[in-house]
Amino acid sequence: MSTHPQVLGGEPTQTGTYLRDTATSVIQNFDPINKIHQHLCAFHFYSHDMTRQLEAHHYCAHKNEEMRQCLIYDSPDKKARLIGLEYIISENLYLTLPDEEKRLWHSHLYEVKSGLLIMPKVPAAIQRLDMETVCKTYGKVFHFWQIDKGHSLPFGIPQLMMSVTRDGQIYDHLVKSCAERMGIDFEEERKGREYMTGPDHGIHPLANGGGKGLETRLREVNLKDDPTPPSGTRVSVV
Amino acid sequence: MQTELNLQQSMASTDKSPEPTPAKGSEPTPGKAMGVGQHLIDKGAMMIQSLEPIKQISHHACSFAIYSHDMSRQIETHHYCSRLHQNFIQCAVYDSDESDARLLGVEYIVPADIFETMPPEEQKLWHSHAYEIKSGLWVNPRVPEIIGPPELENLAKTYGKFWCTWQVDRGDRLPMGAPALMMSPQAASPGVVRSDLVLERDAKYNISSESLKSSRLEIPEPEMISPLADYWKQHGQGFAIDIEETQMKLRAP
Repeated sequence: MSTHPQVLGGEPTQTGTYLRDTATSVIQNFDPINKIHQHLCAFHFYSHDMTRQLEAHHYCAHKNEEMRQCLIYDSPDKKARLIGLEYIISENLYLTLPDEEKRLWHSHLYEVKSGLLIMPKVPAAIQRLDMETVCKTYGKVFHFWQIDKGHSLPFGIPQLMMSVTRDGQIYDHLVKSCAERMGIDFEEERKGREYMTGPDHGIHPLANGGGKGLETRLREVNLKDDPTPPSGTRVSVV
Repeated sequence: MQTELNLQQSMASTDKSPEPTPAKGSEPTPGKAMGVGQHLIDKGAMMIQSLEPIKQISHHACSFAIYSHDMSRQIETHHYCSRLHQNFIQCAVYDSDESDARLLGVEYIVPADIFETMPPEEQKLWHSHAYEIKSGLWVNPRVPEIIGPPELENLAKTYGKFWCTWQVDRGDRLPMGAPALMMSPQAASPGVVRSDLVLERDAKYNISSESLKSSRLEIPEPEMISPLADYWKQHGQGFAIDIEETQMKLRAP
């Protein structure tokens, strides 16, 4: 898929637009956004391709004690691109999912205990309180913008993402780059989290794709038919 | 040895409703209410972390969207938008503007000239906004229309791409299945939004889409809407996503 440099360099927001933008945010009801309390930095890979890995900045709100909804950006900066979202649920909620659904979710145990999942700038003592909880949760992630392919726009179809589940999977250079930029000591966090435990019933065997690769595909649906999955025309989209 | 699992069978499809489990039903999202401990952690985080990308979210818009694979299913949407630069808007989409809103998905918005540069296979996944704006369906709640117009004129010439990852209207109490591609309201069936949905939304904000439609008459129509956008119109087809098992490409040891 070709890139479009003119979009990448798009005009900065004009003054008039900026003034309008800030005025409205004061008047309108921003409750869903105001609930976003937490920045988590982690790494994802594509559920069909572990060689494609990237840093993901999550901005999370609690739906309730057992569920979080997160917006995922490619950086913690003003100009960050909204590339996806993640839902995080407790083990209790995960176990209520149908079996086929369970496969689309990934466990957080390794990510947390390895120190790779971080709350930037939050002192370790406070951070670990939350990590104890996150350690036992499952997440479901879709990315809509394949920035690692150099796409200047969110082309293509949603990508199911997964998280690393053991040593040796994450690229060292990714971790190093993140550590330097964010001022994080992953090793220290790993040591500090040794005491944590994962889901009470252990990681469900169906989680993390059930150990298999999963891939999203686009299908055209004839609108006159019943909305059940027929063998429709497969469309290839990069 | 071949397992009983047919590798062609999808794990999930947009248009396949999940099996009945406690995760489906009419009751609200399951899960215990927030405890004091979690509140404190959140408050602590909020004070220290900058949440910069979230601070850029500056606009709330309310409109309607239609499932591309089943256009009888229509939902009210709440977009929280930030402008990445003059030519690109990114929105987190929720099912309400309340604090218990469910995150439904993400929409991206680009102007027509950017849309025209996209390959045909990509354009099929996008929808136009002209009708939605001019008909008064797209509103900025609580913002007097007087602040609106130049912004609306620009928006009327844009195209959007909206993936929905939580099909709340089919009773999913948790976000299940594959994402759904959404389409925008249009003047022709099956793109016409049901009047009960519009009335309900209008009553909530004490507005009238009909009056907004009159006040927006002068917003110029785009010279042409791309024939590939709003794909259902000229092709009678929608889109679904299947999630299928595949050989995972692994890292070299």
